[in-house]
Amino acid sequence: MRPATLVRLALAGNRTDTARVVLTALSALLAMLAGLAALTVLAIQKPAGDAWAESEQYRNALLREPGLRGGTAFALLMLAVPVLALAGQCARLGAPARDRRLAALRLAGATPGQVTRLAVLETGLASLLGTLAGLGVYLVGRELLHRPDGQGRLALPTDVLPPVGALVAVVLGLPVIAALATALMLRTVTTSPLGVSRKAARERGPRPWAGLLIGLGLASFVAVRPVVYRFEGNGVVLGWLVPLLFLVGGLTAMIGVVIGTGWISHTCGRLLRRHARGASALLAAGRLMADPWAGSRTFAALLAAVIFGAGAAAQRAYFVAQDALEREQNRLAGVDDGGTNPFYLSTMDLVDAAVAVAVLIAAGGLIVALVEGIVARRRAYAALVATGVPRSTLSASVAWQALTPAVPAILLALTVGTLLGRGLFPNVTTTGSLTTVCDATAALCDDPATRDQYTRVVQTGGERAVAVPLEQLAWLGAGTLAAVLVTVGVGLLFLRVSTAVDELRTA
Amino acid sequence: MTQLQARGVVRAYGQTPALRGVTFDVAEGEIVAVTGPSGCGKSTLLHCLAGILRPDAGEVTWRGNRIDTWSETARSRLRRTEFGVLFQFGQLVAELTAAENVALPLLLAGTGRREARTAALTWLERFGVADMADLRPGGMSGGQQQRCATARALVTEPRVLFADEPTGALDTLTGEQVLTQLVRLAREQRTSVVLVTHEPRIAAYADREIVLRDGLVDHTGLGLDVPLAGGAR
Repeated sequence: MRPATLVRLALAGNRTDTARVVLTALSALLAMLAGLAALTVLAIQKPAGDAWAESEQYRNALLREPGLRGGTAFALLMLAVPVLALAGQCARLGAPARDRRLAALRLAGATPGQVTRLAVLETGLASLLGTLAGLGVYLVGRELLHRPDGQGRLALPTDVLPPVGALVAVVLGLPVIAALATALMLRTVTTSPLGVSRKAARERGPRPWAGLLIGLGLASFVAVRPVVYRFEGNGVVLGWLVPLLFLVGGLTAMIGVVIGTGWISHTCGRLLRRHARGASALLAAGRLMADPWAGSRTFAALLAAVIFGAGAAAQRAYFVAQDALEREQNRLAGVDDGGTNPFYLSTMDLVDAAVAVAVLIAAGGLIVALVEGIVARRRAYAALVATGVPRSTLSASVAWQALTPAVPAILLALTVGTLLGRGLFPNVTTTGSLTTVCDATAALCDDPATRDQYTRVVQTGGERAVAVPLEQLAWLGAGTLAAVLVTVGVGLLFLRVSTAVDELRTA
Repeated sequence: MTQLQARGVVRAYGQTPALRGVTFDVAEGEIVAVTGPSGCGKSTLLHCLAGILRPDAGEVTWRGNRIDTWSETARSRLRRTEFGVLFQFGQLVAELTAAENVALPLLLAGTGRREARTAALTWLERFGVADMADLRPGGMSGGQQQRCATARALVTEPRVLFADEPTGALDTLTGEQVLTQLVRLAREQRTSVVLVTHEPRIAAYADREIVLRDGLVDHTGLGLDVPLAGGAR
């Protein structure tokens, strides 16, 4: 097949196909912006001087302080995770119509490889469109936002540009990754002239291997402190070992929770099937057990955001405890100091905002997944409605299906995120020292005759346990659950259309 | 006694007319076959009679009550309690077992879980697929699935069963086996059956045959041959 024909066929389709291409491009655009923002932060040059020399041209301490820029870039990259998950959900949009189109192409003589290439090319081209648009938005945006204040300081790092090689790598790398992911997903799909079939889901439910992965993730985080003490002064080892522990720990825990959601879905389905009294719960139980991985796919990005948010809450609790300890020591030492951590606490506000954005983006992906699930079953739903099943029963079953695994999965993500944070910061310790404090005027304190009368020795330093941030965790859990409820509500709007009797007229 | 009546039923899809004024009655316990060439409006007529579709004009009455003016909820309740509906394919819930599928209408009607399962097993037994009770549709043959679907349509002991090409996806022998069982059980419980088909052999099971052509009743009678698309017999 000629490349031009391949491109023409890859971009052919109906309105749903167009919507899928647009949403995929939009997701790629957002991921591109997140990636470019992270690269820009990393591109800020360290000023001459010691390791702590600040880049004074910026207003925001997150950009000014070199020690914080790595974390800022990491947080920006984390925002790309739910965006990429959204892209993954968008790829499933309109799948039945696309399947029929691909089957028709096979019937017309296309080989299995050619139809796979068409699907891969569609995703790749849409993503490339998105990354190019993202690059355009980035370049225009940095010009428009380059507005130094009266002191010549900038709100954003609009004075630096990542290396051209890095820009090209992101522009081309994201579409390549998206295309490879599509090719990987299509491995389980066989497109024949008579239709598209997928490898049957395993009848046996998922095993609880997730517990092992979560345990490994937690162990990695717990190991960070001992490793830092063990290799203190050995910058080379610490330079790769600590980031590796973070990466391995974070990823395995996250994968563990996502896989665990499959196990949770299956178990909830089994319990629901055993005890369900109504038709809606029975329908939901059947779905949960038949495809327990649907929950994992659907909630992956949301759960990743919750884990990150819970970890951030634990980090904030650590800063609060440290701040309280320092204030107490300062008070004992007679020093009027507001503590050293308000800056870190305000930084955590930014992290919380990033988590909220991530939850919102993930909720967007959830809507796409939910609607796609309803549309894919529209014929079965229409047949049920035709036989007298009330739409309210079907709505309730969709809600059961979404919420039954969501509640325990969110609780699991909150627990794992908190444990990751607490594994890293179990308690606050400060170096102990003996300080002499004189509670009198300078004249009395300086007079050897009276000095002893007003002088006391204070021992500073100590240890304080970091409290579990229950209130913040409750807000995060409730907010996430509310996002799930809203998405279920929006998804149900599509149920009426999908249960129209016209669906019975088409095979 | 007349149970179901259609009077001048008209229905179009956009600019394309499907029914152009169909009138006929169905008596209690009567088995009526609606036949005719493809696109003549058979399925649309069945959907209008079952309250799935509202006619654009005309009336559909059930035991003297006009149901075409009823709300969607009321018509839905009627289908759940008084009617049974059977399609060619796709009506079983893929994720539920055969027993759960058959028990579904009873659960919707408020029957207890245990009683619903017992009734479902009884109906599966009647259709000879009791050993499939705990299998999902994906693990059954087309004929076994259709037997389960028929059991589900009859489990509430409906007054009227609407069957749209119920054997269309089955081979001749299996199709006739399914239909024989359906007709026998319908007669046992005096359920009226409206059977849409384009196969003369299937129509031969009916007490009366109504032939549609271009959205109108062409002729009615007993044991009629179905005219082919070209008009030949």
